[in-house]
Amino acid sequence: MKTSNIIYIALLLFAFSACKKVIQVNLNSSAPHYVVQGNVTNQPGPYLVTITKSVNFDQDNVFPTVSGAVVVITDNTAGVADTLKETTPGNYYTSILTGTPGHKYQLYINAANNIFTTTCIMPVPVTLDSLYTQLSSFGGNTYQLVPVYTDPVAFGNYYHFAEVKNDTLTDNISIRNDALINGQVIKQPLGGGLQQGDSVALYLECIDSAMYQYYYSLEQTENQNSATPANPISNLSGGALGYFSVHTLSSKSIIVP
Amino acid sequence: MNNKTVLFSLLVLIFYVTQLSAQNRYTMSGIIKDKKTGEALIGATLKVADKQSLGTVSNEYGFYSLTLPAGSYKLLVDYVGYTEQELSVTLDKKTGIDISMEPVAKELNEVTISSKANNITSAQMGMDKLDIKDINMIPVLFGERDVLKTIQLLPGVQSVGDGNSGFYVRGGAADQNLILLDEAVVYNPSHLLGFFSTFNSDAIKDVTLYKGTAPAQYGGRLSSVLDVKMNDGDDQNYHVSGGIGLIASKLDVEGPIEKDDGSFLITARRTYADVFLKLSNDTTLKKSSLYFYDLNAKLNYKLSKKDHLYLSGYSGQDDLGLGGLFGLNYGNETGTLRWNHIINDKLFSNTSLIYSDYNYNINVNAAGISANIHSEIRDWNLKEELELFASPTNSLRFGFNSIYHTIEPGNITGSGITNSTQPDNHSWENAVYIDDNWKVSSRLNIDYGIRVSAFSVLGGANLYDLNPDGTIKDTLHYGSGQIVQTYFIPEPRASASYTLNDVSSLKLGYARNSQYLHLISNSTTTNPTDKWVGSNNIIKPEISDQVSLGYFRSLKNDDYEFSVESYYKYMQNQIDYKDGANVLDNTPLEPKLLFGDGRAYGLEFSFKKKVGKFTGWVSYTLSRSELQIQGINNDDWYASRQDHTHNLSVVGIYRLNKKWTLSSDFVFYTGGAVTFPSGKYEVNGYPVFLYTERDGYRMPAYNRLDLSATKQLKKHKHYSSELVYSLYNAYGRENPYIITFQQDPNDANKTQAVQYSLFRWVPSISYNFKF
Repeated sequence: MKTSNIIYIALLLFAFSACKKVIQVNLNSSAPHYVVQGNVTNQPGPYLVTITKSVNFDQDNVFPTVSGAVVVITDNTAGVADTLKETTPGNYYTSILTGTPGHKYQLYINAANNIFTTTCIMPVPVTLDSLYTQLSSFGGNTYQLVPVYTDPVAFGNYYHFAEVKNDTLTDNISIRNDALINGQVIKQPLGGGLQQGDSVALYLECIDSAMYQYYYSLEQTENQNSATPANPISNLSGGALGYFSVHTLSSKSIIVP
Repeated sequence: MNNKTVLFSLLVLIFYVTQLSAQNRYTMSGIIKDKKTGEALIGATLKVADKQSLGTVSNEYGFYSLTLPAGSYKLLVDYVGYTEQELSVTLDKKTGIDISMEPVAKELNEVTISSKANNITSAQMGMDKLDIKDINMIPVLFGERDVLKTIQLLPGVQSVGDGNSGFYVRGGAADQNLILLDEAVVYNPSHLLGFFSTFNSDAIKDVTLYKGTAPAQYGGRLSSVLDVKMNDGDDQNYHVSGGIGLIASKLDVEGPIEKDDGSFLITARRTYADVFLKLSNDTTLKKSSLYFYDLNAKLNYKLSKKDHLYLSGYSGQDDLGLGGLFGLNYGNETGTLRWNHIINDKLFSNTSLIYSDYNYNINVNAAGISANIHSEIRDWNLKEELELFASPTNSLRFGFNSIYHTIEPGNITGSGITNSTQPDNHSWENAVYIDDNWKVSSRLNIDYGIRVSAFSVLGGANLYDLNPDGTIKDTLHYGSGQIVQTYFIPEPRASASYTLNDVSSLKLGYARNSQYLHLISNSTTTNPTDKWVGSNNIIKPEISDQVSLGYFRSLKNDDYEFSVESYYKYMQNQIDYKDGANVLDNTPLEPKLLFGDGRAYGLEFSFKKKVGKFTGWVSYTLSRSELQIQGINNDDWYASRQDHTHNLSVVGIYRLNKKWTLSSDFVFYTGGAVTFPSGKYEVNGYPVFLYTERDGYRMPAYNRLDLSATKQLKKHKHYSSELVYSLYNAYGRENPYIITFQQDPNDANKTQAVQYSLFRWVPSISYNFKF
């Protein structure tokens, strides 16, 4: 996908000299939508669920928080229910829950009588064995990350990489599944764009297929190269945007030499 | 369905019609061809001089047959761009006469761009014929003459996007056009991601577009038939012609195999856009490839007075590569073997064996993994068509068509990966048809017929049973070759013209079309990796019903022609992707699709100046195209991507003098429906855009002016050449190609819309020669 975009851009720029300009488009306003972001991992808690609302396109990037919601995460396997506490507006934290692979977790949210729920199972963890950098295969004197890990023997593993570059989470969406590379030692590089001296922390998340679908469709939404762009497919029922991800984490840090 | 009944009525009809015309009438028949090159002339008219309603038209192979009461006649033979011929014939027995027509000398400073008065009396509606000489005069992008871009200037036809060869006809999708090259389907008629068409205009003889109103011998697509016929090749003399342009060069060689009896034609074209990549300082780009080529070849040979063989083929390939890391190549191959047999002076037979193939390969070679994704569609097609010139008032066409389709949905193989292959899909598409052209009276002309199509889904590939929510409930297995399901669709078609007076007529038409193969696409323009799928237990055949009404008038002694046509079309079983569907992998497609209906209606105006130093046309279309898909926009009707309210094209060609010809075209259309965000929200610290509906916005209106000048260089006895200058988008309008939304790079608190436009002031020069 990414490569075909590069081909497109190369083609358009070199052969046809595309031109680009910022324009004014009159976009409709929309009713505020609830946006949920929640994570439970196999690392020690507390875990965070945030609830915000959408705004109109022409407004500032200031997203209203949603206070006073009832947020409960239940570990169905262990039989533990944790009602989250709103510590700061819109941010709800667990107090007793521990994330354990193989356990089934249920999220329940009641925000002004809007109910959002979902159930997920935490996948088996996969360890990030090592991390190194190499010159980007797409040229341009930048570096790319190469995470090394071993995909388990069984099919059905889904991965998401979160990349924190110089203390900021990047907006790169890197996801993989094992449909074509099952049970192997994986040394596939991630996208380029790193410079010498950059410090990077890479988190390997094992996610479930619904979250894979979410990230896949989020990437499509962000790329805007489909004829019919649409909202990403959330794993939450009840009409909320966003996601509830129950995943395992393994990380490594590196400074690009 | 009762194929036997159809066959029986057909036989009765033939018998009846032949009986009617059996007394004291004689038939003259033969081939109408170009005197200089021996090319058969398609659609030349032969008429009785003092009773012009008595006449006939030559068929695709130049064959004509006219049955008249015994007597002496003065006949007129007419064809666009050729001198009218008068012929005196005494009919007292069966008469065979081949007619050779003389092309109008090029030195004459005028051209005729469309046949005389044919459009008034013929029952055919929604049809446009393009003259290759016209196509050659119209300004073009990068100096590449293009059939598909020229038809976009006709009423009812829309471009898919700026500079793109893809087109929409009467509100139908791009995959609803049946594009034929010598009867073979061309599944992807574009090169370089849609910017060029697969048709090298040097190899082409005739281009006819039917806008959903094609006669019964055509079938398989909802919106249109674009019937492209290749040149046969000169059977008198050898020629070499060619052209050198900024982006591509081409060469054409033709000549006799045996004088008068056979000829060959070979044309080749290759682009060299990749040369520009070599100029780049980026090493990866330097090693990249970006080109396409086309090869057309045709042989024809007259076996006897009654038998003629034609063999034609096309092969084209695109190659895009990024320094060995990534490669995409795709191409079409077609082959057609035809046997014309004149059974008797009234009955003409053509048997065709046709092969079509389209395939693409994606290669990825990085980080120890090398993978290849391959997908292909392949057809074997047998056609038999009989044409019975029963009487001057009736001509019948009937036949059958049987196609075996093979689709490889996409196999992923390579080293370092787990191979993922899917079994091939097979299906068998059949049709029988009959069509009668009946001149009821000197005023009323009717064309009516029926096509009965059948599509059998064959076993071997996986079929699915779906839950109500669209997820897979069960995988169904059927043995290879076993017929899983057969769809039968009767497709009646009729059109009539009623001549009001010498210069005007009213026409009315109805046609049903069906489509069993569907191109599932989620890209804004033509994409080589879009997938063709056959109908099956879940994907139903698309069906359209179209009614149209038109008024045709010729003005000033037929120097001008004016027409208005209106149409209403209803389409069933339209297909769309679900939101967020993964369109690239080879997992089952059925759970990713949504189905619904479509409707399109419009009014098309056309005004042509056909004769003189200045020729050209104005076409204007007012139209609407909507979809109602279960699961999109609350199941309401919404404007489809093909919906462009206003569409205006103006084309002018001016022969200044013997040396210079100037031409220009202007295009304006309402922007298409598009999906834009109506809000935004935050995920992981970054804004994400919020979509509330599909196709709820409009792109800005499109407009463009192109100019061209052709200079005829000094002529020699055996050598002539010309220089063509053109300027695409002469006033440099920035037409938006895409509009995207992003975070303002200068203000983290804001978001903005960005417009990308492609072609501004694209000049080109090309040199064409012939000897």
